[in-house]
Amino acid sequence: MVVLKKDEMLTLVDDTVSLALKKGASEVEVYFYEGHAKNVIIERGQITKSNKILDRGLGIRVVERKAVGFAYTNAIENDDSISEVIVSALNAARASNPDNNWNGFPEKNHYFQTDNTYDNKIIHLRSEDLVSIAYEMLDAATSSKKNVLPIEGGVSAASFSSAIANSNGVRGFDRGTFIECSLATVMKKRNIITPVCFEYSAERTYRIKPAWVGKEAARLAYSALNTKKVETKTTNLLLTQFAIQSLFSNTLINAVLADNIQRNQSPFKGKLEEKIGPEILTIQDDGLLAGGLGTTPFDGEGVPQQKTNIIKKGLLKNFLYDNYTAKKDGKKSTGNASRAGYLSTPSIGATNFRILPGNKTPEQMIQEIDEGLLIYYLQGAHSSNPVTGDFSVVATPAWKIKNGEISHSTRGVMLAGNIYEALKNIQMIANNERKLGSIISPWISVSNVRIIGK
Amino acid sequence: MNDLLEKINSLAVDKFSAQYSEVRAQKLKKTLLTLKEGRVEAAKQGIENGVALRVLVNGAWGFSSVGSFNFSDLKIAISDACRMARAISKRMKKPIKLAKTKTIIDKVGVETRKNPAIIPLEHKIKNALSINQACLGYDKKIKSCTIDYLDLFGNNYFATSEGANIKQDKLYVWSRITSSAFNSGSFSFSREEIGSTAGYEVFDEYPPEVIGITVAKRALTQLTAKPVKGGNFPVILGPNVVGVFVHEAFGHLAEADLALSGGILSNRIGKRIASNLVTLYDDGTVEDAFGSFKYDDEGVPTQKTLLVKDGIVKGLMHNRETAHKFNMDPTGNSRGESFRVEPIIRMRNTYLDPKDHSFEELIEDVRSGYYMKSFRGGQANIDGTFQVGVQEAYEITNGEIGDPVRNVSISGNTLKTLLKVDAVGNDFKLWPGRCGKGQTAFVCDGGPHIRIKEVIVGGSS
Repeated sequence: MVVLKKDEMLTLVDDTVSLALKKGASEVEVYFYEGHAKNVIIERGQITKSNKILDRGLGIRVVERKAVGFAYTNAIENDDSISEVIVSALNAARASNPDNNWNGFPEKNHYFQTDNTYDNKIIHLRSEDLVSIAYEMLDAATSSKKNVLPIEGGVSAASFSSAIANSNGVRGFDRGTFIECSLATVMKKRNIITPVCFEYSAERTYRIKPAWVGKEAARLAYSALNTKKVETKTTNLLLTQFAIQSLFSNTLINAVLADNIQRNQSPFKGKLEEKIGPEILTIQDDGLLAGGLGTTPFDGEGVPQQKTNIIKKGLLKNFLYDNYTAKKDGKKSTGNASRAGYLSTPSIGATNFRILPGNKTPEQMIQEIDEGLLIYYLQGAHSSNPVTGDFSVVATPAWKIKNGEISHSTRGVMLAGNIYEALKNIQMIANNERKLGSIISPWISVSNVRIIGK
Repeated sequence: MNDLLEKINSLAVDKFSAQYSEVRAQKLKKTLLTLKEGRVEAAKQGIENGVALRVLVNGAWGFSSVGSFNFSDLKIAISDACRMARAISKRMKKPIKLAKTKTIIDKVGVETRKNPAIIPLEHKIKNALSINQACLGYDKKIKSCTIDYLDLFGNNYFATSEGANIKQDKLYVWSRITSSAFNSGSFSFSREEIGSTAGYEVFDEYPPEVIGITVAKRALTQLTAKPVKGGNFPVILGPNVVGVFVHEAFGHLAEADLALSGGILSNRIGKRIASNLVTLYDDGTVEDAFGSFKYDDEGVPTQKTLLVKDGIVKGLMHNRETAHKFNMDPTGNSRGESFRVEPIIRMRNTYLDPKDHSFEELIEDVRSGYYMKSFRGGQANIDGTFQVGVQEAYEITNGEIGDPVRNVSISGNTLKTLLKVDAVGNDFKLWPGRCGKGQTAFVCDGGPHIRIKEVIVGGSS
């Protein structure tokens, strides 16, 4: 398959916009996406699989009588198939009902350049290079702790390009790279097996830390082997990034999306400028963060990405908007229309959801906790109530903190509560910020959470 | 298409010395709808065509996926797959081998009374609007209703260097309805899913009005629900919760790849892990069910696989690779979501077999416990720790169903919990769902009502 260059992609989206207008669309938006990925996969201590995926296609949104239709295809070799997909989008719009709140696609805009989002070194990595990275990680794990089993993991290198154009003159092109390595481990001794422990490193440029990932994944499994039960009580939690990511992405992030505000699906409706957390809590969505996993110059509708204050010193400041919800509220889009490649229409999502770091080291935080649990992995966070923020999840493994020290590991502790209550009970925020998917966060300590032991 | 697939397989074996080569080509058409309070966000139609190439070279897997049927593109892809496999094979200590399977040549069509491909989009939108009206119109406290709808029809072509050649058409219809309610400062949320491989006739079985009202009623019930007291309690699980429990807590552990990775079932075949009331199947043959198909993505015929009989582990779910390791036969559980991904071991329709208790008999001896009726989600860990979040639950006091409770989940160790199943009902229901394991698979799970003597209930009061 011939790989398209920047100019060819832009020409393709421009031509498709013109063709759709000619075929009768009153408005049109064309999005092209091309992704290349190379992976090596680890199973049970060795690399067993390697793969290469090339995926590209075109998604077209058209509007007729304020009714929106969308069609996509990955067959773009000839003009006929592009013509067909335009017709398919028009048919979808014609079958659909008008939306009186439809107020047009975004207008033409200027984009900022993003930093640390593209690295030629990643493009040129061969499978052999990924194999070396994977074994550096594996060897670090197995040489640091005996009897640790690296059960699965891998190394991925990817590059992607996207081009967008609409009938209002929006026109954008972006390209980016991504690399990650991850390792899941368990430790087995006689008949005892630990819960799965996991580490991971993902970057936009070639600066992942495979040896650190291996060593850390091994250390966690090793320290989870000998467990003691904990009692049922109300206590303090020290949440690491893994726990914060799984809780926030199933609750808090939903609550700040304008769509959920407008549709009465968020407890934050009508609460702008109200205090929802302590003064030490500041959260931003930063679509331009250097090296951020969600950083691009423009969002899925061609609106420039930006930095938006969501919570500032404990006060709720803003919600996240795409073009549709912004126009409905008479506001400007915050550049939060996200897209799953060419396969989907845009929907509101966070870019880089960043909890600003505090000034305590993680060690200081542990020292200041008389009694509590250090929480890494949560099971069942996706079963949290996305509207109310209620959660009832299992922490496994977790580590008991007693008198300012980690005393032992435990497994299968249940945590139950409400995320918005938990925000109010934030006590300390650490200085150890790190990226985990779309969330960038330090450790956070929370008081007054109900735990159910055995 | 057949010539093309065979040419690629020959190339892999003859030119790049692959031990085994497999080509999976796919032509897929999808229709999707998202409605929010009756607003059609966008009516969507899509085409996804492509080829997945998988080879075994020197005992290592190579895989390449490309959205094209051109011979020249596929030639490059197969050469890449073989070269990558060779690159990783150099440090392999335990080369991969495949269990033997019958070489099948077959064509499988789709029989449907109501083919979604010929139902106009207008009708599908109207149908979704009826669900919306039934839900929002049920009560003023219902504030939102989101409806997602998907139908997809695929032609799948499969050929291996061993001579298998299968053309298999697949049809799926799926919908998810969620709703939220609000009253005097209190929120609630509920959802329901339907799915079938039969066709659009799934809406005859679940009429739009019925689905809409079910979701609305659940959200309303939850509005008045009170927080639950955490601790150890006897519980009755409804078929919907039994389904997610057997899928999450047991099913994943019975996937042979996870068992090999240290999972707790790897050395328990032939041993007791559950009370003698527990018999479990993973069954790809249930007619019209969301997890049914005729051949898996390694060309192995699907089957009704016995996993646990009267509390004793009888088998695991295998692909050809794990079947060879365990010296068993492959069970037809190897599935790939699309041409973009490799096939891996997945469940089909997983269920607990019914016994003889009526619902009244199950509940009458429970003095203080909970009835878990409908789940929100679940997750299991390799060490056997499970969690199932519940969206609809009630107190049980002195054998009677009482007030609704909210924010509930159950947890524990799978094996200990299965040993505590002390009564199994005589009813049966399967529920459709989508299972995530890096890629999505359409599945069903279910069973009868069951009683568990004791399980940890997570609550905040």
